[in-house]
Amino acid sequence: MEEESNPVYKNQSYGQFRELFYSYGADGSFEKRVGYHGESDRVTLQQAWDLFNDRIEEARMKVKAGLASPILYYMEKTLVTPMDLSMHAGIMVWRVKRHLKPKVFNRLSEKTLKKYTDAFNITLEQLKNVD
Amino acid sequence: MENNKIMIDYKHRQAGHCESGATSNLFNFHGVEMSEPMAFGIGNGLYFSYLPFLKLQFAPMLSFRNLPNTVFHRSMKYLGVDATVIKNFKEPKESMAVLDQNLEKGIPTGMQVGVFNLTFFPPEYRMHYNMHNIVAFGREGNDYWVSDTVMEFPQRISFEDLQRVRWAKGAFAPKGKMYWINNVRKELDIKSAVEKGIKKTVYEMIKIPFPLIGVKGIHWLAKDLKKWPKKHGNETASFYLGQIIRMSEDFGTGGAGFRYIYGAFLKEAGEKFNNPDLLAASVLMGHAANHWREFTYIGARNCKNRSKPEEDYGKLSEMLHEIADMEKEVYVKLDKIKI
Repeated sequence: MEEESNPVYKNQSYGQFRELFYSYGADGSFEKRVGYHGESDRVTLQQAWDLFNDRIEEARMKVKAGLASPILYYMEKTLVTPMDLSMHAGIMVWRVKRHLKPKVFNRLSEKTLKKYTDAFNITLEQLKNVD
Repeated sequence: MENNKIMIDYKHRQAGHCESGATSNLFNFHGVEMSEPMAFGIGNGLYFSYLPFLKLQFAPMLSFRNLPNTVFHRSMKYLGVDATVIKNFKEPKESMAVLDQNLEKGIPTGMQVGVFNLTFFPPEYRMHYNMHNIVAFGREGNDYWVSDTVMEFPQRISFEDLQRVRWAKGAFAPKGKMYWINNVRKELDIKSAVEKGIKKTVYEMIKIPFPLIGVKGIHWLAKDLKKWPKKHGNETASFYLGQIIRMSEDFGTGGAGFRYIYGAFLKEAGEKFNNPDLLAASVLMGHAANHWREFTYIGARNCKNRSKPEEDYGKLSEMLHEIADMEKEVYVKLDKIKI
């Protein structure tokens, strides 16, 4: 197994993880190599995170402007859809969607809020105040 | 918390794919030399499904591997090994208690976990993906020692974090699923297991009468890929294309959506049983895998420059059709093979 140095991506955390890759050589042998991810993998991963970060930022703006409840922000931050969140928190989808409105969110009971904080793994304080 | 330390002498070897790596390491622990490709091949790891009506992280869902726990379950069944699989628990506490009991007895135990809260994983990879597998082999105070075959070294994880990932929610929720080998007979009939494994994989790749699975699924994906730019716009089309590349190259696949590992399996089996047909099939599989890699390489250029595609989607679609035909050739060949 050959060694590789990877100075360019050291600042990104996945740049420090090496995985095992297989490859097929011209001589008909399958080889194993421990190394860093190639260019094309990084590009696609970066693309995904750019989209996620855009969505998170957009959600944060909406919450700050009072157009949506903090649940939207944490939902985007944990990369889930209302459908997933409904499974994670054990609340029906139509209710989750309704809770995205600030007006409805402000009236939520402690019990329901607890379900959300458990699903997001945060404290109640954090859920109410989006930084 | 009790402070006793348990360490099972379990050898962590890095592998391309989490579950077949875990299976092969478990076999090694019980004194049977089994490589990762061998476990992958016998356990029917290879698969393809394209499910555009389901979305995974905002893009159509597709999978290059079989359902979670198939590799372990099928390789145990085909090899006739005495193993235990607990599919789900009612209570998180109970699942952790059974794990502790196992560790005290000296049994390394495999578990299905979700990736999102896995603390030692690189943050960029932490998405909602519940089909990961790790093996616990030690406990030290409040921490567990686990072997994640995608990582280079064994990792530590705290009790609370381990419980959380074992009870990750969402699609394919693990529900504390765990599995281990009880004991292995000394003479395993690997030959018949390989035969059964290949037969099942061939069935799953070309004989299932459903258009979204196997080789037909690749053709369907190729047809859809051509339509994406017009239907969704260039941004989204490149994001969807990125999903294909992510699924085939990231998340511990060993590269090219497991095709390399399967090729290595065919080669190893061919050498073991002195079968020239298997060796020929492995060469074809190797070429198909190289084509997959070329596809991801070219496709990634479209992902880099998102609004203006550098490569024609029609051409990429052609490539996928070609790959599907190449793979089909392998399976048709394997279908006729007698080991």
